[in-house]
Amino acid sequence: MARSLEVLLLDDEPIVGRRLKPALDKIGCQVEVFENPKEAVARIDQKEFDIVVTDIRMEEMDGIAVLEHVQKKWPRTKVILITGYAKMDLAREAMGKGVFDFIAKPFRPDDLRRIIASAAEALGMPIDAASPNDETVAE
Amino acid sequence: MSIIIISSDVREIEEMIAGKVAEEKGYGRLDRRIINDVAARHQVEPGRLIEALETTPSLFRKLSSRQWRYYLSCIEADVLERLLADNLVCWGLAAHLYVTDISHAMKIRVLAGKSSGLAKIAEERGISLQRAETYRDDEMARRKKWSLAAFNQDETDLSRYDLVISLDQIDPVETVRTITGASEYRKFQVMTYSMKCLTDLALAAKVHAVLLKSMADVKVQARDGSVVVSTRASTRQKRKKTETIKALAGQVDGVGYVEVHVKKNFLKETA
Repeated sequence: MARSLEVLLLDDEPIVGRRLKPALDKIGCQVEVFENPKEAVARIDQKEFDIVVTDIRMEEMDGIAVLEHVQKKWPRTKVILITGYAKMDLAREAMGKGVFDFIAKPFRPDDLRRIIASAAEALGMPIDAASPNDETVAE
Repeated sequence: MSIIIISSDVREIEEMIAGKVAEEKGYGRLDRRIINDVAARHQVEPGRLIEALETTPSLFRKLSSRQWRYYLSCIEADVLERLLADNLVCWGLAAHLYVTDISHAMKIRVLAGKSSGLAKIAEERGISLQRAETYRDDEMARRKKWSLAAFNQDETDLSRYDLVISLDQIDPVETVRTITGASEYRKFQVMTYSMKCLTDLALAAKVHAVLLKSMADVKVQARDGSVVVSTRASTRQKRKKTETIKALAGQVDGVGYVEVHVKKNFLKETA
């Protein structure tokens, strides 16, 4: 049996993790949620996740720094950035630094599931991301 | 996967470089060949659309300012919809002025240098190099005026572009190679966010075109199927105009919600 996709989800707004974790659980991901970037980075140092989903604007450490840390430690891991302050320059900077995808808040869990599925495909671990029919929106 | 938008201070150069880039990349071409389709879709004369792309309204032309804006909005709406398909090289449709803040749309400006660019104009038009330079300068001044009037953007402002190449320094073969190489940069690759921005922009343009057919002075923004229309009206007309906008915009495919912001039109108020 294929192993589950290991996902680390980092956002300093607790509601994001609360809403997205169940949405990713439904498509068979093993999700660990963090609100503190330093704790998330410490966990990343211990474990190779398949996918890291991180907010960009956070106190103490921003999402771009998390991306760079992940790339240095685990080059195979796909990083997806989420932000409520999306701008073209930031999107280009993130893409230039090798982020797998970049998504602006608010979005539907389905949107994230679709991106997770394409990251899984790129990792050679395809999953079925068919919508389990929820309409929750991450703010 | 990306969009490459090419413009130049000389039309012939723009066409030559863009055509070669499309060939090199194996991308689709989006140029003035779509004008007949746009005209048929909006039931207008193709010649009027070309005229709108080339000229600004004046007392001496038959094209009124309102018609001009409507024709441009038809082109803009169609171009943006087609750009959703991705992997395209676009030129000759003023897309460099209205495809804004889309990270996977790379904007290129090719400057016709004296040695090769102007020589090409002189040869093709059978004029001297000096006359070719005058022609190019006149054309630039005309395009600056046009772009400011049409989209409030100065197309001769080089800071607007992602890449500027002078044919005086880089020959056409190397120019094509430079553009195709730069288009491979990860910065210009499509992502969920940039596709969403383009989808929103395309929907706003579609609604704008529908509204400009019957009214002037409207601005449209779209986000996830919700549309905000800003306009002006007298107190007496406010309610009717709001209802008309809601009805027209609501019929556009992809629109789920319409909000109308009406500012007082003081000119009509005092008339």
